Amino acid sequence: MKTSIKLAAIICTAILFVTANMAMAQKAGGPWTIPANYKAKKSTVKAGDASINSIGKETYNKHCKSCHGAKGLGDGPKAASMKTSTGDFSTAKFQAQTDGELYYMSFIGRNEMPNFEKKILDEADRWAVIGYIRTMKK
Amino acid sequence: MKQIYRILKISALTLFTLLAFQTTVLAQEEATQDTTVQETPKERPVRPAFESGLLFDAATTTLQPSKTLEFILQHRFGYINNADNFFGIWGASNIRVGLNYSVLDNLTVGVGATKNKRIQDLQVKYRVLEQTRSNSIPVTVMLYGVTGIEGGDKALWDQSAGAGNYKFSNRMSYFGQLNVSRRFNDNLSLQVGGSFTHYNCVDSVYNHDRAALSFAGRYKISPQGALIVAGDFPLDIESLKDFKKDADVNTIIYDKPNLSIGFEITTSTHAFQIYLQSAQGILPQEDIMWNDKDFFKKGGFLIGFNLTRLWNF
Repeated sequence: MKTSIKLAAIICTAILFVTANMAMAQKAGGPWTIPANYKAKKSTVKAGDASINSIGKETYNKHCKSCHGAKGLGDGPKAASMKTSTGDFSTAKFQAQTDGELYYMSFIGRNEMPNFEKKILDEADRWAVIGYIRTMKK
Repeated sequence: MKQIYRILKISALTLFTLLAFQTTVLAQEEATQDTTVQETPKERPVRPAFESGLLFDAATTTLQPSKTLEFILQHRFGYINNADNFFGIWGASNIRVGLNYSVLDNLTVGVGATKNKRIQDLQVKYRVLEQTRSNSIPVTVMLYGVTGIEGGDKALWDQSAGAGNYKFSNRMSYFGQLNVSRRFNDNLSLQVGGSFTHYNCVDSVYNHDRAALSFAGRYKISPQGALIVAGDFPLDIESLKDFKKDADVNTIIYDKPNLSIGFEITTSTHAFQIYLQSAQGILPQEDIMWNDKDFFKKGGFLIGFNLTRLWNF
């Protein structure tokens, strides 16, 4: 009798563990549909501009770091509780996207990725954030 | 009474002058645009001088964009003294909950309720001028008003102890302030303000009015953290007094400055401030009018914290 109770407890624990892990597993974000006018957008902040490491870095730390991590690796403290993976900004695949595509994904957003248009009001400040994300390339 | 009218008149004139000045500046910009073929680049405002619209008990010149809802929780523990109150944490606390809503980019209205004295408040913030990156406007100017409505039994507000002289307006207090701030660089922002406080009904040995100067500062010391300081200094103006300080030796004199120092952490949607402060009133008129605690003496300060949460619509 005792053995069967033990066995049942082990099975229940195993089921709980597997279910919990299945629930925690994050799916990769699907492909983005980015409007042509955003795709064509060009950054007004050139690489190496002083605003990238001041305004861009400060704004990234305030609005993005908690999910995307300090280095954009997708390891921020809130990332684990997301249903969708927050991605890795250091990869060549991510960095191959155009400035306009990154702009749309960063500030317009979709689903779990919030819209930041009302939080980062100035257009040049937004481009400074994109410029800062560009510095995360490996 | 004449003094009050005089001060109100001066305040109204100052406000009118500021508004007229703003309109003139705008009118000039429009005229320039009309006469030039090429579009002149739009003036870019600086990033806000402060990360939150709230600093301790003070309002900063920072306003949230239109259609933003802000929830505010302000908590003051008891005073830190040798009493058995574990750094004031077991002591008598004061709490305020509030909601602010940005009607326009430069206009915010708010409501709140405070535990001590059961005060309900209505607030309004209006930004008159905004500092620009080109420095064509070197400062941000903001007007701030708070109306407090004190609760409690009607008898408390009957000026002739139950003889039928109760008036609802006896419960009211008013606070008006003009604030000027400047963001000096990525790390440092300072603010200075002048205010006028009026209570409709006070104990017979106290004054109804008080003018004060306020200062506030923020210095960023880490990517998301900043050192914050502020001070409200009541002004000793004879013409505003109904009673002299030495009217009665037993009278508690409420004339101490309200000083605050602390640390602020801000994220995309939150601001968290933890600090030491000398006044426990939370509403600005309470801190300026009724503070008898000296920050630099034993039992002169308490631990407080603020939490804010933003929702954009």
